[in-house]
Amino acid sequence: MAMHRLSLLLLLLAPGLALAQACDVPADAASQARPLPAVARAADAGTLNILILGSASVTGPGATGPDSSWPARLQTLLAERIPGLRVEVAVRGGRGVTVGDHLALLREGLAREAPALVLWQAGTVEAVRGMDPDEMADLMRQGFERIRRVGADLILVDQQYSRFLRANANIEPYRDKLRFLAAAAAAPIFRRYDLMQHWVETGAVDLERVPRAERPAATDRLNDCLARALAELILQGVAEAR
Amino acid sequence: MTQMATQSTRPNARPARDPRADICRGLALWMIVINHTPGNALGGFTLKNFAFADATEAFVLLAGYAGAFAYAGLADRQGWAPAAASLVSRIGKLYVAHIFLLVVFTAQVGFSAATLDRATYLDELALDPFAEQPYRTLLEALLLRFQPHFLDILPLYMVVLALLVPALLLRGRPWLLLALSVGLWAAVRALDVNLPRWQGGGWFFNPLAWQLLFFAGFFMGQAARSAPSLGLPPRRWWLLGAALVLLGFSGFVLVSIEHFPAWSQHLPPWLPGLLVDVDKTSLHPLRLISILALAYLIGHVVPRDAALLSHRGMRVFGLMGRHSLPVFCFGILLSFMARLMLEESDGPAMQLAVNLVCFCALVFVAALSGWTREQGPVRNPVLPLPAGGR
Repeated sequence: MAMHRLSLLLLLLAPGLALAQACDVPADAASQARPLPAVARAADAGTLNILILGSASVTGPGATGPDSSWPARLQTLLAERIPGLRVEVAVRGGRGVTVGDHLALLREGLAREAPALVLWQAGTVEAVRGMDPDEMADLMRQGFERIRRVGADLILVDQQYSRFLRANANIEPYRDKLRFLAAAAAAPIFRRYDLMQHWVETGAVDLERVPRAERPAATDRLNDCLARALAELILQGVAEAR
Repeated sequence: MTQMATQSTRPNARPARDPRADICRGLALWMIVINHTPGNALGGFTLKNFAFADATEAFVLLAGYAGAFAYAGLADRQGWAPAAASLVSRIGKLYVAHIFLLVVFTAQVGFSAATLDRATYLDELALDPFAEQPYRTLLEALLLRFQPHFLDILPLYMVVLALLVPALLLRGRPWLLLALSVGLWAAVRALDVNLPRWQGGGWFFNPLAWQLLFFAGFFMGQAARSAPSLGLPPRRWWLLGAALVLLGFSGFVLVSIEHFPAWSQHLPPWLPGLLVDVDKTSLHPLRLISILALAYLIGHVVPRDAALLSHRGMRVFGLMGRHSLPVFCFGILLSFMARLMLEESDGPAMQLAVNLVCFCALVFVAALSGWTREQGPVRNPVLPLPAGGR
C-alpha cells in the first residue's frame, strides 16, 4: 500500500517520466501513416486548422478539465512539435452524435474553419444503436467526398477499447467497415481501439479498473497518450508528403 | 407402439446423412459461439477473417440442407399438411428459445453494467432500452422489432423456416422455386426492402434476402436425397479453379487490410472501395458466391468417405451438427457467460478456460441430445386419472 502511494506520488510529481512509460506504441498497434499534403502545406504557411468530428470522447468527458481532452492535448503537442506553428482545433459533436449528424456539422465546419485536416471519429454510437453499418459507410463516404473537394486531409479514428462495450454491443462489423472505408479513401486510420487495448494489457491505462477517485487523472493520462500517438501519425504524414 | 414399429422397420427409407454437411454445420456452430464472444482469442481465426462469408452463412446454407431432409422428406412421405405442422411447431420452439435468450441477454447487460461501474468516458450509454422503456421494449421484442446485439440469427431462422411452409408445395418444381427465391432476393436488394426495426432501419440479417441462401442449401439437400432438384454444378476443373481464386484472393485482401496496413496501401483504392459495399444485411452477391464456392470446393474435393471425416476430432463436430438446434441455443447461452468471463479478464488463462468450457459444453449438449434421441420419442407422461376417467 505504501509502495502504491509512493508510486502514485511519483506519478503526480513526474508526469513526463510516467507518460514516457505509459505511452509506448508497439509496432503492431501502430497506425499506418499516409502522406498528408494539405497539412504539410498548412505547416509551411504557419497556421494549421484542424476540424474534429466525433461522439462523446472528443469533448473530453471524465477528464479533469477542458484542457485535458485529447483534442486539446493534440493542439498543444502539435504546436510544441512544430515551433512557430499556430494550431487551431475546432471540435464538433458530442454524446450520442452519429455520422448522420456529423455530415451537417462537417458542412458547417468546412465552411467556417477552412481546415487542412479533418479527424473523424465514428463507429461507437452507430454500433451501440445497431445502425446499419452500410448506411454508416454511405454517409461517411459522402463526407469524404466533401472533404476531398475542399482539398483537406482526412484521418479516421476508430472506437475506444472497452470491455463493457465489447461484451454488450456488436462493434466488430463497424470496425471492419471503418478499416475498409479508410483504405478506400487512402486515408490513415488511427487505431485507437488496438492502442487502448495494448495499454490495458500492459497495465499502462485501464479506465475500467481504476478506482473511481483516480479516474479523472487516468482519463487525463489516456487522453495525453492518445494525443501523442495521434500527433506522431500526423507528423509522419507531413514528413511523407514532403 | 405401432408408430414405433413403423419407424424402426423403415430406417432405410431415409437416405444416410452426409457426414461432410454435419461436420461443417458443427464447425459453423462452434464458430458462431466464438464470434459471439468478442475478445475471444480464437476470434481471429474464424471463417470471417479469411472469406466474405462467415459461420452465419454456413449455418443458414446447412439449415436449408437439413430442412430438405427433415421437411421435404416428411412432406413426401406423409403429405404437405403434416410437414407444415411440423415446421410451425419448430418455429414456435425457436420463438420461445429466442425470448428466453433475450431475457438472459438483458440480465447480462444489467449485470455487467453494475459490476464494471461503467466509465464516464464511453461514447454512448444507451445500451439498454429496457432500463428506459421496459414495457415498450418488451412488446417490441415480442414482435421481433427489437433484437438486441448478438440475438439476430434466430429471428432470421424463424422467418426463413416460415417461408419454407408455402415453398414445400413447390418442391417438385425446383426451377420455379429457384426463380421465385432469386427474384425475391434481387427485388429486396434493388428496392431496399427489409423487415422493420423499432428504432428505425431494418433487421441486421434481412430474412427476405437471406432466404436465397437457405433455399440454395435446400436444393443441395434435395439433390442429396435424390428428390427433384438442382444440385451443385458437376466437378469441372475451371470451376474448381475459379472458386479457389475467388476464395484465395478475398482471403489475401482481408488479411492484408486487417493485419498488414503497410501492404494494403499498395492495393488500388477502388478495391477496398468495392469491399465497403459488400453488405451483410441483404446478402451481397460476393458473400453469396463466396459461401457457394466454399460448398462447391468441399463437395468436390473432400470425398464423402474420406478417412479424415471419421477421425475422432471430426466426429465430434459431426455430432454437434446432427443436433444443431439444442447446440445452437445452448451455444448462444454459453456466449453470454463467456462474454462476462472475458469482460472480467481476457488473459491467456481465461481464454483457455472460456474456450475449453464452451467447447466441452457444446459436445456434452450434442451427446446428451443424441442419447435422448436414441432412447426413442419421449412420451408425455400420462397422469393417473380418477377411476372411470378412461
